[in-house]
Amino acid sequence: MAKKTYDLLFKLLLIGDSGVGKTCILFRFSDDAFTTTFISTIGIDFKIKTVELQGKKIKLQIWDTAGQERFHTITTSYYRGAMGIMLVYDITNEKSFENIVKWLRNINEHANEDVEKMILGNKCDMDDKRVVSKSRGEGIAREHNISFLETSAKANINIEKAFTDLTLSILNKTPGREPTDVPEKINIDRKSDRLSNRCC
Amino acid sequence: MLIGSNSGPQKIFQKSLFTMSSYDLRLKDLDQVLESEVIDLSKLREFCFNGIPDVKGYRSLCWRLLLNYLPCDRNKWDEQLDHHRKLYQQWLDEILVTPGSFDNEECDHPLSEDPNSKWNTFFKDNQALTQIDKDVRRLHPELSFFQQATDYPLSNVVYSSGTKRLNRRVGMHFLNSANVVRKGLGIVKITPKAEQTSTSEFKPLEEGSEAHWEVVERILFVYCKLNPGQGYVQGMNEIIGPIYYCFATDPIIKMKEHAEADCFFVFTNLMSEIRDFFIKTLDETDTGIVNMMRKVTERLKENDPVVQSYLVKNEIYPQYYSFRWLTLLLSQEFSLPEVLRIWDSLFSDSQRFSFLIDICCAMIVLIRDQILAGDFSTIVKLLQNYPNVETRVILNKAAELSVKNRDEESSGI
Ligand SMILES: Nc1nc2c(ncn2[C@@H]2O[C@H](COP(=O)(O)OP(=O)(O)OP(=O)(O)O)[C@@H](O)[C@H]2O)c(=O)[nH]1
Ligand SMILES: [Mg+2]
Repeated sequence: MAKKTYDLLFKLLLIGDSGVGKTCILFRFSDDAFTTTFISTIGIDFKIKTVELQGKKIKLQIWDTAGQERFHTITTSYYRGAMGIMLVYDITNEKSFENIVKWLRNINEHANEDVEKMILGNKCDMDDKRVVSKSRGEGIAREHNISFLETSAKANINIEKAFTDLTLSILNKTPGREPTDVPEKINIDRKSDRLSNRCC
Repeated sequence: MLIGSNSGPQKIFQKSLFTMSSYDLRLKDLDQVLESEVIDLSKLREFCFNGIPDVKGYRSLCWRLLLNYLPCDRNKWDEQLDHHRKLYQQWLDEILVTPGSFDNEECDHPLSEDPNSKWNTFFKDNQALTQIDKDVRRLHPELSFFQQATDYPLSNVVYSSGTKRLNRRVGMHFLNSANVVRKGLGIVKITPKAEQTSTSEFKPLEEGSEAHWEVVERILFVYCKLNPGQGYVQGMNEIIGPIYYCFATDPIIKMKEHAEADCFFVFTNLMSEIRDFFIKTLDETDTGIVNMMRKVTERLKENDPVVQSYLVKNEIYPQYYSFRWLTLLLSQEFSLPEVLRIWDSLFSDSQRFSFLIDICCAMIVLIRDQILAGDFSTIVKLLQNYPNVETRVILNKAAELSVKNRDEESSGI
């Protein structure tokens, strides 16, 4: 295995309905850019970014999942290994907001109990098309005791902050944890992992 | 086995290192195959496996044949094409109606709870459309092609002041009072309010024209309506994209003008072969995606056990990479021209999709050194963003593996 250039490794997961902007959010964070040239995510995608927080080099391994129901068997198997999950909805799309409850249920079923969560209301640059008010977003976050931000991958609003906040909340509850505690591979939940076709 | 018994793919690929004059010879060969009254399908496969020349509309014609849309008997072509194009037009007429546009529907209205209410279906269809719309707007954004106007727009759609454009229905999942106006007594008319949630460049074109992505959207919607059990699944856009591109850029005008209808049928035929990849409940069946991923792993184990066990050791599961490779027939891994070339070989495989497995295996074997030097994240990144390896090299390797595999099978190993 390559020599470690980081102190800690955190695994994060992005979930939410198709089209809410998960891939754009991740791209904005990892490459500091926004293009409209995106393709729909089929299955699960992966990016790495190393950040420095509180004097620690933290390698973030971020998994971007496909939103559509068809891919849930694949994507839910990643919940178990995740230390932080971002739930994304689109402020111009009512349905994607209503589905946040469904995504939360998925987390409860498949993720670690102590996983850090965060709700993001994305596309906040499109205020003229807004159908979900900010207070409704704050409301549902408060109800479930989760932090909340409105973001825009396009206008670069709160993207960096979202990742920093989530990383900090993981960091703050893992004092002194050494990188060796965390195998780099993501732990797949074997029970629900019907697709992990480990050969022989 | 793969293509005719006396000529292995390896032999054919060697033939592909041609000079200019042998290129002309090749075209003559193909003409000969295509000109016979009843086309010899195995000869055609043998030829196309090696790549269809990018001229004179050969690809679009050969794909129609290889995917069983055109029969081998040339005398039947006109009738077959005519019949299907009319049929498609008829379906369009039935499917693209907005409820309320019939006179005899006075007892039907948007608040109807009757499950047979056309309004009910209308709103349900709009949900499928919403997903289709998101995906067709993200189809090959690196090319300007899909955003350009088609020369053959559907006139009753493009001259409807926007009301018949499918993307206008997006987001109308339930009755929204602003959408409905009452006309006189009990007759309700829907006036779609443009709801544009996407910021992409994929904008519907002006009155009188429509973009290629709008045509693709319509084909997928018709497919979805005619296959209600399956519906639309993300990724189908990536399957239809190359077929539509190939047909809609055909230099033969009398084929090109029917790109939409013909693409519908060829796409439907192809989907009938790979449908199971898209259905979650069939994941574990013989023809499901899990079994396909397993085959890739097995083939890799036979051909490069070191890499295979390294992947296992590092817990690099097939669903990180081969899930997408297989589901989309590699269409997201390569640029469109490369995909067209790869699909020539895939469609020529009489045992579809055995050669696809060989290609996936070849892709891994060809970057084995990078894999063996990598850790978890570098390997996942590598496999998810496949490096620049020439298509020719990949296909040659795959052909080599398929020959080897076949020889071993026949000698009972
Ligand atoms: N205005 C605006 N548009 C955005 C923003 N983020 C994403 N989009 C647009 O929304 C569309 C969908 O974004 P994606 O990132 O591909 O969506 P996704 O959540 O990854 O969707 P799936 O891969 O299907 O699950 C893109 O075409 C973007 O142009 C944003 O912050 N503002
Ligand atoms: Mg995505």
